[in-house]
Amino acid sequence: MSSTEELMGPGHPEFHLEEMVLNMGPQHPSTHGVLRLVLHLDGELVVSVEPQLGYLHRGFEKLAENRTYLQYLAMISRLDYLSGFFMEWSYVRSVEAMMRLEVPKRAEYIRVIIGELNRIISHHIAFGDFLMNLGASTPFVWAFRDREDVYDLLEMVTGQRMMYNYMRIGGVRWDLPDGFEERCRKFLKGFPSKVDEYEKLVTENEIFLSRTLGMGIIKPFEALDYGISGPNARASGVDWDLRRETGYSVYPEFDFKVPLGEHGDCFDRYKCRIEEMRESAKIIEQALDALCGGPVNLKIPPMVRPPAGDIYRAVETPRGEFGVYLVSNGGLRPWRLKLRDPTFSAISMIPKLTAGNKIADLVAIAGSLDLIMGGVDR
Amino acid sequence: MTAEAARLNAPEALERSRDLLGKLARDLTISDWHLVIEVRPGDLPEVALRLRDDEKLSCKYLSCIIGVDYMDWMEALYLLRSQDHSVPIRIRVRLDREKPEVPSVAYIWSAANWHERESYDFFGIRFLGHPDLRRILTREDYDTHPMKKDARPHRVRRTEWQWENLGKPLRLPGEPERSNRS
Repeated sequence: MSSTEELMGPGHPEFHLEEMVLNMGPQHPSTHGVLRLVLHLDGELVVSVEPQLGYLHRGFEKLAENRTYLQYLAMISRLDYLSGFFMEWSYVRSVEAMMRLEVPKRAEYIRVIIGELNRIISHHIAFGDFLMNLGASTPFVWAFRDREDVYDLLEMVTGQRMMYNYMRIGGVRWDLPDGFEERCRKFLKGFPSKVDEYEKLVTENEIFLSRTLGMGIIKPFEALDYGISGPNARASGVDWDLRRETGYSVYPEFDFKVPLGEHGDCFDRYKCRIEEMRESAKIIEQALDALCGGPVNLKIPPMVRPPAGDIYRAVETPRGEFGVYLVSNGGLRPWRLKLRDPTFSAISMIPKLTAGNKIADLVAIAGSLDLIMGGVDR
Repeated sequence: MTAEAARLNAPEALERSRDLLGKLARDLTISDWHLVIEVRPGDLPEVALRLRDDEKLSCKYLSCIIGVDYMDWMEALYLLRSQDHSVPIRIRVRLDREKPEVPSVAYIWSAANWHERESYDFFGIRFLGHPDLRRILTREDYDTHPMKKDARPHRVRRTEWQWENLGKPLRLPGEPERSNRS
């Protein structure tokens, strides 16, 4: 019997502990965008969570049906704004496969270089935001400081910092500018030591470990059952990376490891992302070495008409499998375009992961899953 | 399964699923290195269970569910993958457009829960036996299924009082009436 109960007696109305309903989001700094979580709380414990989506629903799939194939390319990198390049990649791959185009080798290397640079900055955000959710603001600022270097590189190539619109059906928009290679190599030279710095600051931090070890465990079979892919699934030990398994683009030529976790907790997910950043840097270096001459696109006319049929192509984005399912009826516009986003599946697992934990742990778990609502709500 | 020899290729997967499904599959084809299995709506849960639990095909991972409106009929597509081999499998279910209904597979793959809600939201496909079939991305009181080809854009209703209030120009007491403020 607690002291207040002794004072006031057990029948006092204050002890009718009711479940409290609390709205977390859509405007909440730790929900990474406009995710709304309806929490049912017992004190500080989470009884159940109900994610509410759709605050960022822009009708991407419907808009595709009213645009030509090239017009839509300008939109699609707005989908998941942190890894826009992969959205474009997945889309052009499906259109290219539909039209049976052979992309020039140099374009493929450029795609890999830009793609992996984009993976690095996306993981920077995942790393920084996750620690911000846990209450550490230094890593967040460090991540943003180091992102600037990559942004400069991307701006140099594509002209934009975030919404690249650099891919074209059958290649890329233009060639790499002069001096890109040197600057990129200079960045890669300094990059591993920066990752070491992050690790020195965070990985063995006592508070960080006690907040993340054994928290939000995803078992391997659960990860598959819920359709979770990417680093979230690999942290659980699911050895599955589309870059290696389907070997799209020129990835089979490169030598890289697929980092795996053991326990599938928040710490393993963090660690997997950190390791992937290192691997991405290695891939870029190999791609720069292998970069060959030649054209960078196929000079496809702007009005393309892929033959009738359907096709599904997926790429490994920083968050997992992003796929585009395209149905064409032989016309100027897609008949149906479905976008399969990895975060959609990851969010569907939040209720299962967080029930029974404290609110502060919910924030840690949501941060470790690296949620971006742009792709979920479409 | 680590041994490379145990990996299936597409024709082997086709043979295997032919043995496994028998008459349940209306049609089995390989298109674009995917194995496409066409089934009737009623047979879907049985086919899904067999594909998931078979030790060779072992489709433990449901990538997504896709609704397509072909004007004359509707289609629900289930994209499956296995971590043990690299042949993606599609289950294709052809639905009646007037009354699109198909049994839910949410109890076979947990991932199906939200993907079915999405297909219901966009196409109005009713997944029978789904635990919680509600709209997921559009508004709860949205009056149409927006991805259907004959859906018309939602018209915004303006109530009377809004027009009255918005129509009057804001004027301080004693201020002369101005015809056009820029």
